[in-house]
Amino acid sequence: MRELTVIEAVREALAEEMARDERVLVLGEDVGKLGGVFRATEGLFERFGAARVVDMPMAETVIAGVSVGLAMRGLRPVAEIQFADFIHAAMDHLVGEAAKIRWRTGGDWSCPMVLRTAYGGGFRGGPYHSQSVEAFYAHAPGLKVVAPSTPADAKGLLIAAIRDPDPVLVLEHKRTYRTIRGPVPEGDYVVPIGRAAIARAGRDVTVLAWGMMLHESLAAAETLASEGIDAEVVDLRTLAPLDRETILTSLAKTRRLCVVHEDTITMGLGAELCALAAEAGVLDVPPVRVAMPDIPGIPVDDQLEDAVLPNRATIRDALVHLVARPRVYTGAGAHAAYDPGIPQASSVVEVALPVEHTRLALDALVEAARSIPRCNATFAWTGIVEHADVVVDLDLGPSAPASGRGTITLIDYGPDGSDLAIPFVRPGQTAAVRIGAVRDGRAYVACAVDHRAVDGADVGRFLAAFKTAAERESVVVA
Amino acid sequence: MLSGAEREQAYRAISLARALDERMWRLARAGRAHFAVPCSGHEAIGVGYAMAMRPGVDWLAPHYRDLAALIVLGMAPRDVMLCFFSRPSDPNAHGRQPYAHFGSRALHVLSQQGPQPNHCSHGVGCAWGSKLLGDGSVTVIAFGDGGAQKGEAHESMNVAAIHKLPCVFAVHRNGWTQSVKRSDQYATETLVARAEGYGMPGVAVDGSDVEAMHAAASAAFERARAGEGPTLIDAACVRFMPNTSNDDDSRYRDRADLDEQRAARDPLTRARVLVGAEFAVQVDDENAALAAEAAEWAEAQPLGDPATVADHMYA
Repeated sequence: MRELTVIEAVREALAEEMARDERVLVLGEDVGKLGGVFRATEGLFERFGAARVVDMPMAETVIAGVSVGLAMRGLRPVAEIQFADFIHAAMDHLVGEAAKIRWRTGGDWSCPMVLRTAYGGGFRGGPYHSQSVEAFYAHAPGLKVVAPSTPADAKGLLIAAIRDPDPVLVLEHKRTYRTIRGPVPEGDYVVPIGRAAIARAGRDVTVLAWGMMLHESLAAAETLASEGIDAEVVDLRTLAPLDRETILTSLAKTRRLCVVHEDTITMGLGAELCALAAEAGVLDVPPVRVAMPDIPGIPVDDQLEDAVLPNRATIRDALVHLVARPRVYTGAGAHAAYDPGIPQASSVVEVALPVEHTRLALDALVEAARSIPRCNATFAWTGIVEHADVVVDLDLGPSAPASGRGTITLIDYGPDGSDLAIPFVRPGQTAAVRIGAVRDGRAYVACAVDHRAVDGADVGRFLAAFKTAAERESVVVA
Repeated sequence: MLSGAEREQAYRAISLARALDERMWRLARAGRAHFAVPCSGHEAIGVGYAMAMRPGVDWLAPHYRDLAALIVLGMAPRDVMLCFFSRPSDPNAHGRQPYAHFGSRALHVLSQQGPQPNHCSHGVGCAWGSKLLGDGSVTVIAFGDGGAQKGEAHESMNVAAIHKLPCVFAVHRNGWTQSVKRSDQYATETLVARAEGYGMPGVAVDGSDVEAMHAAASAAFERARAGEGPTLIDAACVRFMPNTSNDDDSRYRDRADLDEQRAARDPLTRARVLVGAEFAVQVDDENAALAAEAAEWAEAQPLGDPATVADHMYA
């Protein structure tokens, strides 16, 4: 596939959409003959004319405001705010108007506008040409916010934004424009809004990043690979609405979180992402944020700017510290085995089992968990996360206790244990199963579930599935 | 000059707006609804430009005191009262915005917002859309002299003039921004001189005279339709009532002075001369009954279902 820079991909997306749909027009400061200060609109004026490529006065409020009006009339304005630092004069129209129009009119009106802007530091732009503004706008329900990091996403997300029936803010990191080059599909290419991408798969820690920080995080991950740390780097791509599923699935695997952003740390997007992970109960160690310190702007002085922006070295150091932190098992864990706050439901069946049944019971449990996935899940107030794999945490008594990992716990104290006891569900899991002592080829198998996530009737179904699977195997063994 | 039938239409609209206004004021004061925004004193301005509009073709980015214009464009009394009681069946704001946040796709009225006058640039965008779509429609952008002091109004008029967009800026100039008097808002007597600065004509009109207002609007429409661009109409009027039902204008307005202005510049009594007393009394009685019926009916309509509060955030 041919390769483009990010700015070339943006330009291609604009040209293709203008050619495809004559309702699309571009407006902003210097977007005409100059082709934009970053040349994102280069060639469009010559190709599509002054009526569709409009140089606007230096007035960000009206650039956004007329875009709202154009969009309400069914046109597809793509406005450019030259630097994200200037966007706040347009904020009333983005947050107060565009984000609310569909909602406040019960769906009678819509506002399918796009506003693109160049953000981010690292090129000695000083406090008014370097800021990251995503947190202000990702805070506005009704507005979608995307931040591509790669040329392919720059094209695919911009096309998706132009075709989206609702307002979309496209944040383009100005340092990626010419430094990041990569394959870009030709022709119609749409990257769905609302989906993150795994930029690098890993098992030890999840790094959430976007824009230039995505590339710095990837570089840090490569360095760490040679040091034995396997980092997963997630490119958020869409900042609002967040792709909770991809984020939580990654965290359920690594159970360690690092968020990297150029925006200042307090109330930045990292705060929301850490809260998301904390509420979902998927972290074993406290998360870490690598971000700008809380200073009013990015300084222009070479040494000062380099000192405040995160980079591959500071990200690498943060990840090393994060991975070295002892797991405190705030989720499922041997040291915080039970949470009396979890409402429990339970049930018991009698199952034909040989005395030696550990392997057989594990297989039966996996089969039962696959048939009732809610029992192999993590409850969080934001939603129940069903796990793709079944990882059984085996508790064989004091000599071999549960490790605190895994998606479901199986307790089996062998022939010396009691006949029947109801287990408790560990935090971070939704089910626990206990096999009583085998007497005359039969044992009581009890299951408890987190009643917030699993219906009582499903406990019965789960145990029935376990019994069926176990007895089928028992017969074969016998 | 309006024809005989047009004068009757104008009177009916002013009279109905006044009847609804008075009914809403009393109900708000009685605690039966949250919020009233009186339009009394402003009616002739909106009736003037709304009668120059082609219904379903031209567009209105309304002032929040534009009830009379909406009536001319076809807003029914029951819909006005649904808006007043903020019911989910209100076609304007569906129970999500307070009264006077008008809007109707069917009537070509752009959805109104809270912060004034953000709809200036929306109206300019709307007019720009008319130009790009080539549909020949004109957009009226109405706001107060309070709104006219914001950069939003300046930026909007500038862009409309640059591109000769088919729109009309109509300022309901009642001399007050809630409690702030004219001389604390702007140093000139009127806003007409600003028009020249943007490169568009500006006209001062007595906004309590519906015929004068209609004539000024018609001329502005002709200019817009001919592709010559926008006009600024400075329509002077008297705000009869407090800013809203939450305002106490006795703290800042002289009662005797207000009474004198109301008597001299009441759009309703001035329009009455155009149609004759007998016709006027009959229409006023009909409208009082209409307003009462509409209020009673709308108040009985159901409130919103909390399960729907997040509906229509996205397509």
